[in-house]
Amino acid sequence: MAEQDSSNTGARGLSGLIAALRRPSVHYSLASLLLVGFVAGIIFWGGFNTALELTNTEEFCISCHEMRDNVYPEYKETIHYSNRTGVRATCPDCHVPKEWGYKMVRKIQASRELWGKMVGTIDTREKFEAKRLTLARSEWKRMKNSDSRECRNCHNFDSMDTEKQKKRASVQHEMAMEDNMTCIDCHKGIAHHLPEDMTDEDWD
Amino acid sequence: MMKKMMMTGVASAVFALATGSALAAAPADWSKVAATNVDLLYPGVSPVEWIMRGPSHGGARVLKRGESCTSCHSEEIGDMGRLIVSGGKIEPTPIPGKAAFINAKVQAAHDGENLYLRFTWKQPEASGAPKMDEANPVKIAYMLEDGGKVELAEQGGCWGSCHGDARTMPDGTDGKTKYVKDGSLANGVYYDLNQWRSGENKAYDGHVADKRVMEGGQALVAAEGKLEDGNWSVVFTRKLTGGEGDVALKSGNTYNFGFAIHDDNAEGRFHHVSLGYSLGIDADADIVAKKQ
Ligand code: HEC
Ligand code: HEC
Ligand code: HEC
Ligand code: HEC
Repeated sequence: MAEQDSSNTGARGLSGLIAALRRPSVHYSLASLLLVGFVAGIIFWGGFNTALELTNTEEFCISCHEMRDNVYPEYKETIHYSNRTGVRATCPDCHVPKEWGYKMVRKIQASRELWGKMVGTIDTREKFEAKRLTLARSEWKRMKNSDSRECRNCHNFDSMDTEKQKKRASVQHEMAMEDNMTCIDCHKGIAHHLPEDMTDEDWD
Repeated sequence: MMKKMMMTGVASAVFALATGSALAAAPADWSKVAATNVDLLYPGVSPVEWIMRGPSHGGARVLKRGESCTSCHSEEIGDMGRLIVSGGKIEPTPIPGKAAFINAKVQAAHDGENLYLRFTWKQPEASGAPKMDEANPVKIAYMLEDGGKVELAEQGGCWGSCHGDARTMPDGTDGKTKYVKDGSLANGVYYDLNQWRSGENKAYDGHVADKRVMEGGQALVAAEGKLEDGNWSVVFTRKLTGGEGDVALKSGNTYNFGFAIHDDNAEGRFHHVSLGYSLGIDADADIVAKKQ
């Protein structure tokens, strides 16, 4: 681990975190995809923090057409885009871990892994759909491993009043709490269409 | 058999009186018998295969742990029906003007010999769509199951008999009827099924095991229905014990129960269906048949 990371100076101080977070079987992470322009960002906008802020906006995420044409229109129809509270969950809210450290780790992973691998692999709708299940699975796994950390930044079982929920939700949440389940166990497809080739195992 | 087929309406009531004990009679005043409100939803295409899969149905995981449909859905059946009937979900061929749900009242009583079941509901407005079953404006059927041997019977009433390959389903086969998993009369894995058809004015006593059979049962004595001022009332008279394919009802026990109405000259899946309820014979349940 440390050996590999030493080639990337930015990662050195974070190698512990990297080790904890790295998912060995995944070729590229979703945050990587979303932040594919990170390096370019630094160069063009010339400021590290600016780039950091910029890359964490929805605008940035959908500036690449793979996202704008594929996932964005689906997301726009969901409750996280528009609801009566006016609180919007944007792409990075769900896909980029919040704490600065996690942010960095994932961006660094992004800049290192992505350029070569990504360009050309999902540049058409068909190619995107073909990769969709792989991408979704990697995101499910990440969220499962982090106990759906990003969801819990905004939602939380402890402060959830199941009494006020519809029964179809409260029955599930009470069971989920008993069984130590996590949000993504049940809320797959919360912001996008589910991959069509998803299997029953992906669910259970 | 032919005799049974003709035993409908007044004729059958007379027949029942003549053959049964003189004491056996439906409650003289149904208004004194407690009524249970049951909403029946337009179910769209929601066969067992859809119900039990996590990716299609949010309740699947909890159903596998033994919860019943009503624990999640009891208060929202009308909304579910509206969503489905409008084509918003699991309904590939919505019928404009079709009722989203029907609210029915169920009453039950027994006299040691017969069970009396009365269903009443307001006739919904006709959709005006082409009639599927020309002969019968309305059909009503109930199923009984003993011991939860049929998968989903205890949790979901008739749902255990509804499969994606049945006739009139989008992926169905003509002639394929309802059936239950591992269905077998010998093993007691079946639903007892009774139906009344308004146009034919005829009662059917069948069951659902490896396939649906509409006759052969020996428990059903008669079924009588009438439409008055836009309100239907149908009374079934059924012996507590019959023969093969008839669930034997005993005082003190509860049975799994569900029913469906084919309104608006409907056929096959285009009916309104209840979730699962319990029927108790002198025993605490959703619907209780007390001894008269
Ligand atoms: C930036 C904050 C934020 C994040 C991150 C977030 N949500 Fe939400 N979520 C909201 C808001 C705001 C609503 C709408 C609340 C309302 O309208 O009452 C909502 C609504 C929901 C609903 C209700 C859906 C409905 O149709 O009523 C679910 C379920 C949900 N979120 C699950 C999740 C899951 C799972 C995640 C993680 C993958 C997640 N949320 C991440 C803020 C967030
Ligand atoms: C065992 C499965 C399960 C788990 C685990 C689970 N949920 Fe849910 N949740 C549901 C179901 C089912 C619904 C109802 C969906 C519907 O109405 O269509 C629901 C509804 C919701 C709603 C909307 C509530 C309402 O009243 O409309 C929110 C918000 C929500 N979940 C958030 C979460 C969050 C956050 C987590 C993780 C902390 C979580 N859920 C974990 C199954 C689950
Ligand atoms: C409320 C949380 C949430 C928001 C907001 C969100 N996503 Fe997702 N995203 C998920 C989850 C969960 C998955 C995993 C697959 C699934 O369950 O749909 C996912 C999967 C993906 C995938 C993998 C392909 C797929 O469809 O599964 C891409 C690409 C993606 N998201 C991009 C985006 C972009 C771009 C945005 C902003 C326009 C965005 N996401 C907003 C939760 C979210
Ligand atoms: C643990 C709670 C739960 C149980 C138990 C449950 N369901 Fe559901 N059901 C849901 C949720 C959540 C939805 C909506 C989201 C979905 O379809 O996944 C739903 C949706 C439905 C729908 C589609 C209409 C709609 O409103 O979305 C039908 C039909 C349905 N359920 C029937 C049944 C039947 C029949 C049973 C019993 C055999 C059952 N459900 C048991 C939670 C449950």
